[in-house]
Amino acid sequence: MIDTNFFFVICSNVLGGCMGTTGPESINPDTKKPYGLGFPVITINDMVKVQNRLVEALNIKKLFAVIGGSMGGMQALEWATSFGHKVNSVIPIASSYRHSAQNIAFHEIGRQAIMADPNWKKGAYYYTKKYPKRGLSVARMIAHITYLSESALQRKFGRNLQNSKFFSFEFETEFQIESYLKHQGISFVERFDANSYLYITKAMDYFDLSIKKGGLTEAFSDKNLSYCFITFSSDWLFPTSETKTIIKSINQSNTKVSFAEIRTDKGHDAFLLDEPSFHSTLKSFISGQKKKFKI
Amino acid sequence: MKKTLRNDLQIISSFISENEKVLDVGCGNGSLIEFLSKKKNVDCKGIEIELEKMNFCLKKGLSVVQGDANYDLNDFSDNSFSTVILSQTIQATIFPERVIKNLIRIGEKAIISFPNFGFWKVRRDFFFSGKMPKNKILPYEWFNTPNIHLCSVNDFIHLCDKNRIKIIDKVLLNEDGKRLWSKSFLKNLLTYQVIFCVSKK
Repeated sequence: MIDTNFFFVICSNVLGGCMGTTGPESINPDTKKPYGLGFPVITINDMVKVQNRLVEALNIKKLFAVIGGSMGGMQALEWATSFGHKVNSVIPIASSYRHSAQNIAFHEIGRQAIMADPNWKKGAYYYTKKYPKRGLSVARMIAHITYLSESALQRKFGRNLQNSKFFSFEFETEFQIESYLKHQGISFVERFDANSYLYITKAMDYFDLSIKKGGLTEAFSDKNLSYCFITFSSDWLFPTSETKTIIKSINQSNTKVSFAEIRTDKGHDAFLLDEPSFHSTLKSFISGQKKKFKI
Repeated sequence: MKKTLRNDLQIISSFISENEKVLDVGCGNGSLIEFLSKKKNVDCKGIEIELEKMNFCLKKGLSVVQGDANYDLNDFSDNSFSTVILSQTIQATIFPERVIKNLIRIGEKAIISFPNFGFWKVRRDFFFSGKMPKNKILPYEWFNTPNIHLCSVNDFIHLCDKNRIKIIDKVLLNEDGKRLWSKSFLKNLLTYQVIFCVSKK
């Protein structure tokens, strides 16, 4: 979709994460210990400011496009509203201008699961060798359900049992869906820091562009930007209606905006999967913008 | 870019001045708005329901929102465009009256083109075969046609009268795409395609 022989693609880790850029797991230079909860609560705006510093360090004056799915889409929108002059096109995918009450609710359950784990110890678990694994994996299991759709779950797992043909009438993992979620939870714990999960989910919850510049119309008034919003019909985490709220508020302005809803039953995760009509829309937009900017 | 625009689209573009702000409802592959933005420096937006057609527009660098003329026009505010275009689409809408009212609400003027169902060959074919007529611009069978609200020139004028819609201009075309005299007594029989330019009274 994005020709890496043609485009220089910058893809950095986010502030608050645990795979590169500074986060709660990083060593606080003052205390020589991991920040833990001493790490300041961050916002999507902070993440984008860090990305902007990276772009400055790379000596890049203008980005052809900012593109991202889910929280990445929030970052793309934040780029548009904070550093619009450095961007040509903005491609938010399966995303929104804010978290809904339901989004916040699911995040809060995840955070509570982490904080209820006795190993969490108010975030100071780094030197205890006891990691809040149970809490983080439950958080991931809940979140993972929100990434899929009811029909995709039914199609993939149905009521199938994992190892036996008969019910065991015990509380062991026996349905395939149970086993799948458990696997998702366990494998996530191996690569993710529980405190990072708290910080990043909170950053998403605080995100709301409708209050940033006095309204969505004002936030998206830069007529030099070309937007291409893409949503998925079965995504109930970031439903099309959320993006349509943005579209409605900029329909009559001079902002260049395109929007497509891709029909799929794969839910929110569709943006990470092989979804041919999504890919052809994305390709079409990118090639159109390439022509427009004569590159 | 194709040099030649479809006949009715050429006439539509002649109704539009330079530097206007235009919304094309059901813009298809975007040939009209591409023409308008390149040749007349018009600020164009399109609405298209089919993803594949939308992708054609995106490839041309046009701004297109996926949407349905029946429902999504409500999301546009009054007089937000100088001209709103609905070409060869009104007959395929579920709520033509609602759509037309929206068009003249959103635009200072609206341009609406459609195939005339009062055309003499359409009447002749129906008269002799007793079956739903087909021709070049109405190529479907009754059971698979998207055209569920076909109307004649006179039908459209009736709708405008009923809703106090002002007809600024109309262009009547015969089967060869040639203009007919717009006051012709036989216009409803001779017109194959028509382009109306309307506005609020």
